[in-house]
Order: sequence, then structure tokens, then C-alpha cells
Amino acid sequence: MTDDVLTFQYATSDQQREAVTLGMWAFLATEVLFFGALIAAYFNYRIWFGAEFIAAAHMTKVAFGTVNTAVLLTSSACMAMAVNTYQAGRTRAPVLWLTGTALLGLAFIAIKSVEYYLEYQEHLVPAIDFDVGRYGGVAEIFFLFYFCATGLHALHLLIGISLVTWLAIRIGRGRIDRNGSTTRIIGLYWHFVDIVWIFLFPLIYLAGRSG
Amino acid sequence: MSGRAVLRCWAALMGLLALTTGLAFVPLGAAQLGVSLVIAVTKALLVLLLFMELKGSSGLVRVFAAAGFFWLLIMVGLTSADYMHRSDHRTAIDQIR
Repeated sequence: MTDDVLTFQYATSDQQREAVTLGMWAFLATEVLFFGALIAAYFNYRIWFGAEFIAAAHMTKVAFGTVNTAVLLTSSACMAMAVNTYQAGRTRAPVLWLTGTALLGLAFIAIKSVEYYLEYQEHLVPAIDFDVGRYGGVAEIFFLFYFCATGLHALHLLIGISLVTWLAIRIGRGRIDRNGSTTRIIGLYWHFVDIVWIFLFPLIYLAGRSG
Repeated sequence: MSGRAVLRCWAALMGLLALTTGLAFVPLGAAQLGVSLVIAVTKALLVLLLFMELKGSSGLVRVFAAAGFFWLLIMVGLTSADYMHRSDHRTAIDQIR
């Protein structure tokens, strides 16, 4: 199976490329609203609970969050390099950049797992083990938001890692058409997951640090 | 985008990450949220325009890309405006507290 060949409904490869790009952005717009609903909930909680909600955010591990943001931004730069070298007609370089992208994605997941584990030990996981007597109900709501938002983000990242790995293998075997959009489209998905984190990071980790 | 451009964009993103993390520890009061969101939007724009190549894309692709964020603004803006001006939610909140 080779993908990306001009399919019958398109007159030119330019038209196909534009249609594929538009389709991907339409999908990403639904993803913006998917994560956006969570972000809207965050703002409403912040309006309702004010200082108590922000105080709960203070219990997150800002060092883990900052390192993970750097890891994810770097992975996006690797992805951009993969697309860049691939479009320049090279084969080995994009495979290496994609490998770097996937490994950084895995590093993010590993750091996040350690963070989850520490939070579990501190009895901060709602529905499983949350010490309401010690932290209060508002903190439980914050951590419910925290685990939903970062968990869904991590799920998206795992899907991204799978796609990038698949892509690296196929490019390595020379089974992806150079004129096609596969590499670019998977790149768009990866960068989008990065953008979600760019917004989650200040809302979760940076709220109330100076207080 | 060229390798050099990727490197420059990455450096800018790292710089903004350092800036936003540093500023979070400076007591800015009510401006805190605004400052961190402005930096987040700047970072997102760098990724959208450069890494996701919206710079140089056709107008139609840009409109598709902007549409999701536009609806998000409506959703966040209107729900926040609603909850900010409600006075009948106190009982539920007091129960949680």
C-alpha cells in the first residue's frame, strides 16, 4: 500500500494537498473546542472559587511542569525538522528527527507518570485516593480538572507517538510518496498537542506561584 | 521552513517559557493570569504560524485554523460572563466547601 497518490476525485495534486490540509484543520478546530470546554470549566471554577482554587494549583509540581513544557516544545522543533528534511528529499534525516520526536514524547509521558505517582502518594487523586479532610473540596475539584485535562492530553500524545513511530518506519522503508501530505499532516497533529500543553501549563502550574 | 528558522523559533519558545515561569514568581497581583495568558498566546502563535506553516498558507486554510479559536473565545467569553454575574450559585459552592 502506498498512500498519497492522486485519488480520482481531485484534478491536481495541489488541489488534493489543499483539501487534505483543510480537512486536518477542520479536525483540529473540533479538538480546540474539545479541550476548550475543559479550559472554559477551569475559568468558571476560578471565578467561583477564587483564591481557594488558585491555592490548590499551588500544590502542583512546577519543576516537573516546566521541564515537561521544554521537552514538548523541543519535540515540536524536532517534528518541524523532520518535515523540513523530508520535503528536502532526504530519507535518513527525517527518520532520525522523527525518532527524536517520539523519544521526547515518551520522555514527557515518563515525567508525567512520576508526577502522577507522587500525587498519588500525597493522596491527591480524586475518586481513587483524595484526602478531602486535609485539602478540602475545592482542591478536589481542581485536581479533578487537573487529571482530566492532563490525562486527555497524555492520551493525545500517546496517539501522536504511535503515529510518529509508524511514519518513521514507513519513511525508513521508502513507502511514503514524497508528493503526499502524510508527514505534514502528522506534524500538524503533533504541534497541536503541543499548543494544548502551552495553555494548560500556565493555568495548572503557574497559577498562584507568587502568592 | 528552513533549519535555521526552526532553531530560531525553538530558541524563542524556550525564552518565552523561561520568561513566563520567572514572571509567575513575581507578585503581579491580578495581572498574573493576563500576563501568563499573553505569553501563552505568543508561544501558540509561533507554533501556529511557523511550525504549522500557517504563515504562507492560503486564506482558506487560515480561516479554518482561526475558526476553532474564534468559537473557543465565544464559549469561554460568554460562559465566564454568565458565571461572573450569577448570584444563585452560592449554596452549591458552600456544599463543596
